[in-house]
Amino acid sequence: MSQVADRAPAVRAPARRRPSRRPAAAAAKGAAVAGVLFFTLFPAYFMLTSAVSGKVGSGFEALIPTAPTLANFTEVLTRGNFLTYLGNSLLVALITVLGSSLLALFAAVAVARFRFRFRTTVLIMILVIQMVPLEALVIPLFLQARELQLLNSLLGLSLVYIALSLPFAVWMLRGFVAAVPAEVEEAAYLDGASWGRMFWSVLLPLVAPGLVATSIFSFITAWNEFILALTFFNDTDKYTVAVGLRAFFGQNTTDWGLVMAGSTIITLPVMVFFLFVQRGLASGLVAGAVKG
Amino acid sequence: MAPWALLAPALAVIAVLLFYPLGRVVWLSFRHYDLRSLVSGESEFVGFDNFAALLGDSYLWTIVLPNTVVFAVAAVGGTVVFGTLVALLLQSLRPLWRTIVISCVMVAWAMPAVTGTYVWRWIFDVDRGIVRETLQAVGMLGPDGFNWFTERLTFYAIVVLNIVHHGFPFVAVTVLAGLLTVPRELHEAARIDGANGWQRFWNVSFPTLLPIFAVVTILSTIWDFKVFAQVYLMPGGAGTNEEIFNFGVWAYVESFTTGNYGTGAAIAVLLTLMLLAITVAYLKALFREDDPR
Repeated sequence: MSQVADRAPAVRAPARRRPSRRPAAAAAKGAAVAGVLFFTLFPAYFMLTSAVSGKVGSGFEALIPTAPTLANFTEVLTRGNFLTYLGNSLLVALITVLGSSLLALFAAVAVARFRFRFRTTVLIMILVIQMVPLEALVIPLFLQARELQLLNSLLGLSLVYIALSLPFAVWMLRGFVAAVPAEVEEAAYLDGASWGRMFWSVLLPLVAPGLVATSIFSFITAWNEFILALTFFNDTDKYTVAVGLRAFFGQNTTDWGLVMAGSTIITLPVMVFFLFVQRGLASGLVAGAVKG
Repeated sequence: MAPWALLAPALAVIAVLLFYPLGRVVWLSFRHYDLRSLVSGESEFVGFDNFAALLGDSYLWTIVLPNTVVFAVAAVGGTVVFGTLVALLLQSLRPLWRTIVISCVMVAWAMPAVTGTYVWRWIFDVDRGIVRETLQAVGMLGPDGFNWFTERLTFYAIVVLNIVHHGFPFVAVTVLAGLLTVPRELHEAARIDGANGWQRFWNVSFPTLLPIFAVVTILSTIWDFKVFAQVYLMPGGAGTNEEIFNFGVWAYVESFTTGNYGTGAAIAVLLTLMLLAITVAYLKALFREDDPR
């Protein structure tokens, strides 16, 4: 899918070169592009300008910051436990990425390289389990964690996130594993490599781009998750950023400059990672979905 | 045995942390389980009592079901139609501009649900929000302002805006990838036959891309039925305004605020059953043409 998308513009470019016959149509198209850009960028823009506006008295004031300041960022990072929350989120996300990448890679090799009974059943089960709403899982998971003394445990939360990100990671990685020609593996065996040697020295480097993509997805899953992080902790030192941000809401009035600065800090890593995966993003989702 | 050894760790994690809880929430939905049960660990079997109480209450039919279903229809419709329009626009752009616009569209997708919701709250803030100030500046709103978050309709209008903003990039990029695979000869032939732009989309592109439209529609439906943070984090969404609960928020508040875990589990089971029905439709759309390889 992505190959087609990459190639298509080059093939089509000559046809697009002919000048637009109707200037009115060109103007309408320009206006449509401007409208789309405004709608898609405005919230992020407004978040950023509010964050650098200091104490914002009104929405209009925040629209174009006249005296940009980083005061809100300094206050967010020094007041309260925001730095601790950032550390917690980072730790949870790292455990999730490592755990789910490893388990997903093994599972992806199994479904992409072997034909066995119940293979289709396993694939469909992996697909179906993703529809289960977290609102249904949070109740039993809370009771389970409570019985196992895993409430207020960042490791316990990470384990759940591994389970949550696994189905999608397996679904995506199997495409990457299937794309590696079996002949490459056979060549390694002919050279006398064991299965383990072949796995680490041949297969792993070849599926590395896929691992990077799924790792980023797992990271975003763990970083953004809200409902479980909200429920698992009554010890405020253990909050992740997504939940900890609630501390900046006042009883009666809210200092939106502060909230937007915190939001910016949470959003930035996700935006950076999205830029990395944006190519494979839609094509991966649809290729996995349409091609099966 | 090799494939099962490789699958075992992943399946074990999924079984313990996804399937077992799923079974347990069904089990809970048939029991009276409240705060006392939480302490003692004892609960009693009540059969279908929880479900009967929920389904016999007009609150479910007049408030929660419309909040979930009407909202999902509006959000999915908005996401798919707007996303498709953006895809058609992208298709007509030159490669450089196409890349620029796609990168900008990604910014909306990358916004986490939590921070995105806070930004929309700030935009519609009752006292100092930019929407209030703009409307007052052009004289469309009186000096008292208007609280968008207390009325069900305006509350969900903001949620739809939030969801469409976050969800349309997926549809746009996916449909664009499909549009680029439609052979140009088909469009040329239609053009020679005198078809206009709309006819070419409706009679050539749309039938070819039907599987893609099925996938993006059903995936969006599944996501929009279980919207949580975008409602819970809005003013009143965390439990004070019962008018605006959807199934997910209701299940959560009933369990963790009220302490009726059995009733909350029953609500969650109803939501899961609805999603299961949609998923079956999804699988049918997926595997209509060929088996998974």
